Amino acid sequence: MHLLEVNNLTKSFGGLTAIRNVSFHIDEGEMVGIIGPNGSGKTTLFNLISGFLEPDSGNVTFKGENINGLAPYRIVNKGIARTFQVVRPFRHLPVIANVMVALKSPRGARKIEWIKTMERKAAEILEDVGLSGVMLEPAGNVGHGDLKRLEIAKALATEPDLLMLDEPFGGLNPLETDYLTKSLMRMHLDEPSRGVLIVEHKLYALMKIVERVIVLHMGEKIAEGKPEEIAKNEKVIEVYMGKAT
Amino acid sequence: MVIGHLRRAYSSFAAHVFDIPPRLMAFLFLMILLLVPATGLGPYYLSIVIYANVVAILAASWDLLVGRTGQISLGHAIFFGIGGYSSALLFKYYALPIWVTIPIAVVIGSLAALLLGFPCLRVKGPYLALVTMAFPLIISSAVNWSPVVDISGGEFGIRGLPGFFPFLPILQQRAAEYYLTLVLLFVSSVLIYKTANSKTGIVFMSILDDELASKACGINVTRYKLLSFMISGLFGTLAGCVQAHLLKVANPPMFELTISFLPIIVTFLGGIGTIYGPIVGAYIYAILDRYVLTDLLPRILRDNFQVMFLPSGYNFAKLLVFTLIVLILVIKWPRGVSRFTTDKLEDLEEARDLDERGPRIWKRYKKRKSSTAT
Amino acid sequence: MIYGAISGGLYALLALGFTLIYGVSGLVNLAHGSFYMLGTYMFVFFGTFGFFVPDPMLASILALIVAVIVVGAVASITYRLTIHPVIGDEVAVLVVTVCLAIIFQQLMLLWFGASFPRVSWPAGSVLLESTSIMGVTLEYSRIFAFVFSLVLFASLLVFVTKTKIGKAMRAVSQDREVAMLMGINTERLYMLTMFLSAVLAALAGILITTSIEKFAGPWLWLQPLALSFSIVILGGLGSIKGSLLGGFIIAFAEKTVEIMVPEGGGIVGVVPLAVIIVVLIVRPKGLFGKRVEMEE
Repeated sequence: MHLLEVNNLTKSFGGLTAIRNVSFHIDEGEMVGIIGPNGSGKTTLFNLISGFLEPDSGNVTFKGENINGLAPYRIVNKGIARTFQVVRPFRHLPVIANVMVALKSPRGARKIEWIKTMERKAAEILEDVGLSGVMLEPAGNVGHGDLKRLEIAKALATEPDLLMLDEPFGGLNPLETDYLTKSLMRMHLDEPSRGVLIVEHKLYALMKIVERVIVLHMGEKIAEGKPEEIAKNEKVIEVYMGKAT
Repeated sequence: MVIGHLRRAYSSFAAHVFDIPPRLMAFLFLMILLLVPATGLGPYYLSIVIYANVVAILAASWDLLVGRTGQISLGHAIFFGIGGYSSALLFKYYALPIWVTIPIAVVIGSLAALLLGFPCLRVKGPYLALVTMAFPLIISSAVNWSPVVDISGGEFGIRGLPGFFPFLPILQQRAAEYYLTLVLLFVSSVLIYKTANSKTGIVFMSILDDELASKACGINVTRYKLLSFMISGLFGTLAGCVQAHLLKVANPPMFELTISFLPIIVTFLGGIGTIYGPIVGAYIYAILDRYVLTDLLPRILRDNFQVMFLPSGYNFAKLLVFTLIVLILVIKWPRGVSRFTTDKLEDLEEARDLDERGPRIWKRYKKRKSSTAT
Repeated sequence: MIYGAISGGLYALLALGFTLIYGVSGLVNLAHGSFYMLGTYMFVFFGTFGFFVPDPMLASILALIVAVIVVGAVASITYRLTIHPVIGDEVAVLVVTVCLAIIFQQLMLLWFGASFPRVSWPAGSVLLESTSIMGVTLEYSRIFAFVFSLVLFASLLVFVTKTKIGKAMRAVSQDREVAMLMGINTERLYMLTMFLSAVLAALAGILITTSIEKFAGPWLWLQPLALSFSIVILGGLGSIKGSLLGGFIIAFAEKTVEIMVPEGGGIVGVVPLAVIIVVLIVRPKGLFGKRVEMEE
């Protein structure tokens, strides 16, 4: 049984078909990347899987269970966590409280009893992503690179079986990119059974981490395979470099 | 501008010169409050501070819902009225004593809040404001509807409610009422404050900041919103019950828009999101409205300027002036009214950063601005 | 039934003003009902002027025009002074407009006192008589109001679609920033829209009061506000068609309640409010909603 199965997913907005007949699957412990030019439907796909949008047709199955139409918070509590391309921190709360919100969810709270332990757990998670320094700062005062890490921390707090990252490298400088790459790889070693799905533009960073790449273009899956294969795939190059179409 | 300067001056003064920790300040304030009846004020003046206490409870309940969870409420009077009427009806039909009717009424209020919360779940912003505004309007219309007028007492409401301390003479009665309301205020404030700073309170705040992100963290936002409604309703109802028994009547004006407005004005005056905000604001309001405008000013006019009779519209003018003040305050300092103006604040901060990072850029910008301004 | 139809048109007019200012500037004007109320008072006030015209009916018409323009001007200026500074902040706008509504209420109380002045066409006017259509007695004033409102609707439609200003309004309502880039002065446009919106409300106020209510009062702004809001929610914020349809639906609903519910007259005021709540639960964007509360 696959960890995540997406079957013939289709979603349209008015006249525009954002996702057309997309199918793929992810197994436990796999790290998969999704790439595609702007507007190819990557974030829509995320929204469909995480419950923020409902598909017009097709289904999404997680751990054997059909999760179509479930409310986002339910899906999180089943084990899928996602980040947002444009960071969504809780600006009025200190960084550590941001993580604590996720820990307050039923799934995040599973192993926590008192508020002290929750704070400690939140502090641990923040340490893992390298945010110990700004723990008590209001999230509104924290820099972009740190906010990106906070997004991931919040997602990790719910101990997901499938972690979905939407452009985690967006806006990061080379130092931060390197740090994040290493962090992701380390996380993978720590949690070998966790599946990871990453949407990304920065191909060189992505290709280093993932085992498999799916390519979307205009809402359709046009290629799937190992990073090296995809890099040489004619169709993919055409779509990215642009041809007179 | 002036108030901002004053505030900053005051806080730095208090912090540096006296080095008074906030706890001590709160303690001192509490001491002052406790000693009020001992100052020998008459019953009328005591009723002013009693009113302040009640308003403060209402405002604190509002602040939890609006300042902390982000669900704007322009109809908080509904809880006030439900509190008053529930307690009154329980007395009218079951002749239950006060200390039974009030807890029951508070429970009824919380349940009502739960119910009222449902339509509010899916809407936000102006929609939410108007839905909440609609609630008290509906009930006050319903109260005047002929078939139920026998029950509700129609325009005049339900009168003859028992007071809290009927066995005491007037002055002592007021003093006792003052302490009672003070205790209730204290308990309510502490409970609300503790809730706001608990894990649950953190989740409330996450809903205020970014509901979507909160959902993405696995939070059942609906449940928390309803919880916030219930707690807010609980204390709002309490304020209403108490007021009804202080005035010995529960009537339609309890549902009026001006009552819904009180928490907004009061919390704004005192400081949003703080524990002392509603209290300070309520006292400022009560003193301003009931003493300065109603008592002091007419007396000064009478004694010093020989103004014997105030124009008949003076009462109307009071509300007018008051609202005008609020209006001006809101326009000058919108971030005092709501926390939703973080954008404006960020702009200000950015401008300040620019000042630090690039003094030349800033000067050039300023020069350009002033030249185009002329 | 017929009454419902007539009221419907008038209600729609009222709601139109509300949806207009929202569609163009994103502004929820809780003082909209106040303009309704101010219109009636100004009509009474100017009605005593005479205007050096021998025919009282003509004087009344002039009074109507002047009153409406005055209210519009007041609205426009007030907008510029009080609302425009806070237009970015939804909450502040709400608080400001409610404050304005209360202030207007108190001002009218101070000026005219707590009595309820009679609002009607001058005595002897043909409009005060009635006729019978399909077995229902109808005052001419109602027919006049109805026809007037339809004419107004039509002319407004033309204005919005054909004239330059109307097109500017539509542009701004669709995308404010692009419209600004195109050189449209949004600030003045908003003032103009406010003027128009208030004029519509004032007209609705005068027409409705002269034909149905007959009395003015300083507190008479809450109910029109509730009406406007419920019609606009029902029909969809920002949609002109919606306001039209919504107006009729609400009017019919009110009449139905009045007739069918025992002592319905007292509770009729609740109808628009209940509609608001029901619509927001069932279908928040209304029938033809333009601005939808969306998940991103």
